[in-house]
Amino acid sequence: MSVSVMRFVSSGVGIVLGGLFVYVGVQKHLAPYEFAEAIQAYQLLPSSLVGLVAATLSWIEIVSGISLILGCLLRHRRFSNSFPPDGILRRSGLLLILGQALLFVVVLLITMARGLKIDCGCGLFFQRQVGLESVLEDVLLLGVAGWLYWREVKIGGREEESLTPVQSKL
Amino acid sequence: MTRVTWRRDLTWTIGLLGLAVILGLMFHWPLVQASLRGNLTALLDQKRQERREVQFQGVKTLDLAQAYQIWQEQKALFVDAREAKEYQELHVQGAVNVPPETWEGLAASELMKMDRMRELVVYCSQESCDDALKLAKKLRAAGFSRVMAFTGGFRAWDEAGYPADTSR
Repeated sequence: MSVSVMRFVSSGVGIVLGGLFVYVGVQKHLAPYEFAEAIQAYQLLPSSLVGLVAATLSWIEIVSGISLILGCLLRHRRFSNSFPPDGILRRSGLLLILGQALLFVVVLLITMARGLKIDCGCGLFFQRQVGLESVLEDVLLLGVAGWLYWREVKIGGREEESLTPVQSKL
Repeated sequence: MTRVTWRRDLTWTIGLLGLAVILGLMFHWPLVQASLRGNLTALLDQKRQERREVQFQGVKTLDLAQAYQIWQEQKALFVDAREAKEYQELHVQGAVNVPPETWEGLAASELMKMDRMRELVVYCSQESCDDALKLAKKLRAAGFSRVMAFTGGFRAWDEAGYPADTSR
């Protein structure tokens, strides 16, 4: 596949992934007390920290999603030396998403190992219990975010170099 | 990736994280404050009650003592609104299972062949779950006028040591 097609594909995947995080973040932001109940049901945090996590996690999802979407949209701008530096929004958004997805997988596995039958509070479009399905969903997100980040770090620079002469001809 | 770029990425990530934390604190400070002061459970109970009063207006609710009394008097049919595997594991003695995945086709279920004046007590897993109220609302809409939701759920029933059955 050509470099420009792959760039287009990864931008599309990034926008979808970012959009999913914004969507779930907004859902949690609009129902903070239900989300706090879901966190409490995991019995992993002291009660004093549940409110803080419920209040901030939704915004971490929203901010990381917006950062990734903006980074993907700004990828095709004309001036690469403007602010913010090219790729930084994508990479930092992806790092946050990777961190969250990893955290969700660990928490779900711990909860499964403890045998708790609770709503995961993590379903993308519908409620579901903690189980293999919810773990697989987060592993998929982790994989997609990991692939995008790997492209950014390993291939991104080379793609930019290979595209530069073509752009300069235009 | 150079060390400078890596450091710059981390700085931006921490910056975004900080921004998210500030926004979260700004929008949901009452929740954070209640949690830090040890009042979280009371606040969540109050908010849940307020939400349910609006969302499930008209659905009568029962506490554990009322539900047990009705069960002892054998006046009502208990309806378990949990997943089939949870029901099979353990349920209120004599209860029938109407799991959430069957609610779409509720009109064709066995329950609908019953007398609409039959008293029904619907329950789900625990106090925080809404499935009992959701199913009770659906059953009311289907014509059952004497439907009640036992909000303590099976957890409260089981913890009280009241009679339970297994289908395994």
